[in-house]
Amino acid sequence: MNKPYIEIDRITKWYPYQDGRIFHLGGEKKWIKAVDAVSLSLRQGEILGIIGESGCGKSTLGRLLTRLEEPTSGDVRIGGVSTKEMIRRDPKQFRRHVQIVFQNPFDTFTPRDTIEKILMRPLRNHRIGANDTERRKICLEGLESGGLCPAEDIMSRYPHQLSGGQLQRISIIRSMFLQPKFIIADEPVSMLDVSVRAEIIRILQDMSRRQKAAVAFISHDIALTRYISDRIAVMYLGRIVEYGDADDVIGQPMHPYTRALLSNCASIDPDEKTTPAAIQGEPPTPVNPGPGCYFAPRCHMACPACFESYPQISHFANGHYAACQRTAE
Amino acid sequence: MDRRKHAGLARVKEAFLYDWQFRAGVAGVVILLALVVAAPLLASHDPYEFGVDNLAPPGTAGHLLGTNHMGQDAYSMILYGIRTSLQVALISSLISGVLGVLIGGAAGYFGGKTDLVISELINAFLMVPTFFLIMLIVALFGNSITNVMIVIGITNWPGNAKLMRAQALSLRERTFVRGAVAMGETRLQILFKYILPNGIFPVVANTTRGMAGAILTEASLSFLGLGDPNIISWGQMIYAGKNYITTGWWVSAFAGAATILTVIIFYLLGDGLNHVLNPKYAFESRGK
Repeated sequence: MNKPYIEIDRITKWYPYQDGRIFHLGGEKKWIKAVDAVSLSLRQGEILGIIGESGCGKSTLGRLLTRLEEPTSGDVRIGGVSTKEMIRRDPKQFRRHVQIVFQNPFDTFTPRDTIEKILMRPLRNHRIGANDTERRKICLEGLESGGLCPAEDIMSRYPHQLSGGQLQRISIIRSMFLQPKFIIADEPVSMLDVSVRAEIIRILQDMSRRQKAAVAFISHDIALTRYISDRIAVMYLGRIVEYGDADDVIGQPMHPYTRALLSNCASIDPDEKTTPAAIQGEPPTPVNPGPGCYFAPRCHMACPACFESYPQISHFANGHYAACQRTAE
Repeated sequence: MDRRKHAGLARVKEAFLYDWQFRAGVAGVVILLALVVAAPLLASHDPYEFGVDNLAPPGTAGHLLGTNHMGQDAYSMILYGIRTSLQVALISSLISGVLGVLIGGAAGYFGGKTDLVISELINAFLMVPTFFLIMLIVALFGNSITNVMIVIGITNWPGNAKLMRAQALSLRERTFVRGAVAMGETRLQILFKYILPNGIFPVVANTTRGMAGAILTEASLSFLGLGDPNIISWGQMIYAGKNYITTGWWVSAFAGAATILTVIIFYLLGDGLNHVLNPKYAFESRGK
């Protein structure tokens, strides 16, 4: 299976910029380009890490992919089928195909229901399992496969009686009930203790491999993303600035922004030689950026040409690419 | 099983121990209900019976609180009047509560044009002098107690709707609601399963306080002569006693006192419920 299964095609989200004026007499309307023509593709069972600093549009991208927000333009195709079409024809089918794991496990479930009710609901809604006894069995098996024992006891509990790690596992298990083709994990471990992160990651990896689901793993934790992902995309101000195999992107970063990100990432090995590349200044706002490279104002290797037009994509080996013209020189 | 329910019970118990408003409110309502049930036993006369003693002062000829101009026993009338007041309070609050929760919830959760239209409707209702509207409707459609209850109910929902709308607006952004969307639940399912059950508590407390308002409104209507003449209510007793206030003050005074007491009871219960249902309210820190 080398053909891309999930194709994200120039997906875009622009928010109108509220500058306090009601009428825009003369002058253009301003837009916040939260996600700007992002194109990515994933194969079945592939895990794609999406990294970037806060405010770069990672989470917005996640919400667009799950259609919790309507994209301004662009589409996602799953196995060649447009999700735009799918959601118009049968929203439930789309929801079965695309699932999301949220950042905050403590708020993922309604506080008034037991885990049993919470897990049974999607099964009933999507008519999975012939009757309630069978559905209950599916729930129990699901919980046990996620290492939540004794499952009977967990089922009778309320969300506030469980730990964050347990809740996040239940969240992943619940998503897997629908046998999704595409899972968006929006910083699934950033609110958890370091000690339980590995377990969550393992379950996510396990389940996606078993069901051949592609995963978009959104995170700002570079080390973790490298560990879990097959490929990595680096986002900056709503655009993908670098993409490639995880080892290539981390091993030989081509975009100066990726280099800066990596060099500021703490290493376990104290002897490892790093030459920290400093980034100057705050990330600029995504309100009408450009026309040049968005990163140019903070880039140490920027030249006058960088401020004039958005750089062409430079391609390297293994499908690795970066949106920087200086790095190719 | 049901650990949470036990936690809820524990909180009610805690409230009962530390929150005097809740304690007083609950005790008051229990007493009122007991009086409604026991009214036939406790009443010294048939409240509908016209006795021979007109405007007898309290304590004369077995009339504990005196009689009105028709010779009806005021004490017995007050006892039977509790039922009217509670009935009005419960049914009209139920109507305003259900309407407010549904309309406000829909406005807050669906947002967009639905919200715009409903919000303007709420504002319009809040601007209209409600009491005048109630009078108008009662004057048009007759003054049976059923009409009065319904009218009070459908004029009182905007407050509840505003509260519920605010709740829905904040719940809409919660992860579990987004999660429900992602799990493929429909908008109606989400409204009834996630928004309403999680946002209803402030409305419950508000509705309980609204009961006090409903009792007062019914009394005011009766006082203006727009009450149901076939029913004994405190408002009508006050109305009937108005003409004799200089010579027979007891006719109005005791019914008025009963109204005030009942209103206070419902206010206390509403406040107490607000404390019980608000998880951020700590009982101990407020002292006993």
